[in-house]
Amino acid sequence: MSSEHEKDGYGITLFRPGTPHNAKIRGIVFFIIFCIITVVQSCYWLFANTVRPFVLGMPFGMFFIVLFITVEFAVLVILYFLESENMEEKGDV
Amino acid sequence: MTWVLVLIIIFAYLFFILFLGSWAGRGRESSIVEYIAASRSLGFVIMYFLMGGAIFSAFAYLGGPGWAYSKGGAAFYILGYCALGLVPWWLWAPRALRAGQRFQYVTQAQLFSDRFQSKALSVIIAVVSVLAFIQYITLQMKGCAYVFEVASEGRIPFWAGALIAYLVVLIYVFYAGLRGVAWTNVFQGAFMVVTAWVLGLYLTYHLYGGPSEMFRQIAQANPTHLLVGPGTKMSFAAFASALLVSVLGFSMWPHLFMKAYTAKSERVLKQTIVLYPTFAIFLVPVLFIGFAGIMQVKPDELGAPDRILPWMFSHMQFHPIAVGLVLAAALAAAMSTQDTITHAAGSIFAQDFVEVLKKEKHSDREATLWVRISVVCFGAVSYMVAIFGGQTLVALLLGAYGSIVQLLPLAAATFFWPRATKAGAICGILAGVLYNYAIVLKIIPKFWDIHAGIQGLVLNFIVLIVVSLLTRPMDRVHVRKFVTL
Repeated sequence: MSSEHEKDGYGITLFRPGTPHNAKIRGIVFFIIFCIITVVQSCYWLFANTVRPFVLGMPFGMFFIVLFITVEFAVLVILYFLESENMEEKGDV
Repeated sequence: MTWVLVLIIIFAYLFFILFLGSWAGRGRESSIVEYIAASRSLGFVIMYFLMGGAIFSAFAYLGGPGWAYSKGGAAFYILGYCALGLVPWWLWAPRALRAGQRFQYVTQAQLFSDRFQSKALSVIIAVVSVLAFIQYITLQMKGCAYVFEVASEGRIPFWAGALIAYLVVLIYVFYAGLRGVAWTNVFQGAFMVVTAWVLGLYLTYHLYGGPSEMFRQIAQANPTHLLVGPGTKMSFAAFASALLVSVLGFSMWPHLFMKAYTAKSERVLKQTIVLYPTFAIFLVPVLFIGFAGIMQVKPDELGAPDRILPWMFSHMQFHPIAVGLVLAAALAAAMSTQDTITHAAGSIFAQDFVEVLKKEKHSDREATLWVRISVVCFGAVSYMVAIFGGQTLVALLLGAYGSIVQLLPLAAATFFWPRATKAGAICGILAGVLYNYAIVLKIIPKFWDIHAGIQGLVLNFIVLIVVSLLTRPMDRVHVRKFVTL
């Protein structure tokens, strides 16, 4: 069974054919999360363009950015473990 | 004479690196896949430092503090983008890895020119890559020159300082290929990070009693220095678009993208991406060094802001051995980027330009020799540019990003859109690159202070899509090979 836009084989193909539904949802969700993190980082000044309060010695703007770096790291760790079972080891081609 | 001792430490360090890098190449056969991709065998620790060395470059180590010193809050974008830079690679690298294993690619252009069946595309990508590399590497050379200038108290001239460390790099890259790059990066990476933390925290506590007090003094002397937006050194739009273009473009840099081919498994790639934000955290004390300099030296006395790091501790009455080690770490930052770039530039010029234009294929040994020759030629040309050009370090790099990010639509189209055609790909990249340069060269105005590369990218995507839809689709079996990776 192929969906309408995959019928001629030239449509946008985000996932390898045969990818389970859960994996597709996971991929899209994490993609959106990282887009949001990127927007927050590039527009941090909407939320934290101030010097005070100082947190961990840093001006608040800098702290905010560092905070979101740790958020991003946590998200990456979660994604890694969710995808871990399906990762190919050496020799898979 | 303390400067003599400082220079002795630095030269001892350089000899060590030269030995380490060259030794990595002993006993390896001379083949393309070994020289360029280390036979597709690298594990996590090496990948982590290989990719991390790219961030800890003269840009981050000298230019970053330079921005912290002169532009304040604007420098924060460096943290954000270094943390996010490899995230897009999660999309490209595993697919490129599999493509490399199946179709024997070792460079980025081989992937795209195979997908789009175009030698012209290979040549365009090779030219764009090498030009951007030259911009990037002159930055590193200038950084090294500053280090030597400061270490020798002005005795070593700019042209010599730029040359010395780079010669070391050229020798071990020529001899040992990617293995030389990999081994030295592991050592230099660890060395840089440790030095950054020790120095950054030491200076902050020694001079101010701690970061809060330091920032309090800065805010008092200059209330807008730690902010962005109107009245500061970087507008909101410039900040946001600089970060965005850096995140989108980082993994498209050919010397980073092609590292996907060197990993032994997908797992190694993903582990590297997950741990990568640690390098952004490692940069925090490096920025502190720049901030610490604000109350210590006036801009007129300092000269170029990018000198703030070498200036700071050469004026701190540290023991010459400590000064030597820290300056060696700054060289390590520059060299760990120079080697990756030089290796990639030589590989790309030889494989994606020379090989593509030759009628008869070279043998593997001949092709490898051509890469070595290209490495040396690239080095010579870049050196000339470094000596006779001039802009501050970070500004130079932002300009280079604008060209490289134009490769992004090719990756997206290769892995996700079979309908993209050769004409669409070529027109798109040409439109984006030319538009970017038109803005940078001030032929066209820059709209709303948005980074030139972003504007070129938008045009690039539009042209790619429109031209692809207007031209005949490519062979279905062929294009589907790339979306089913």
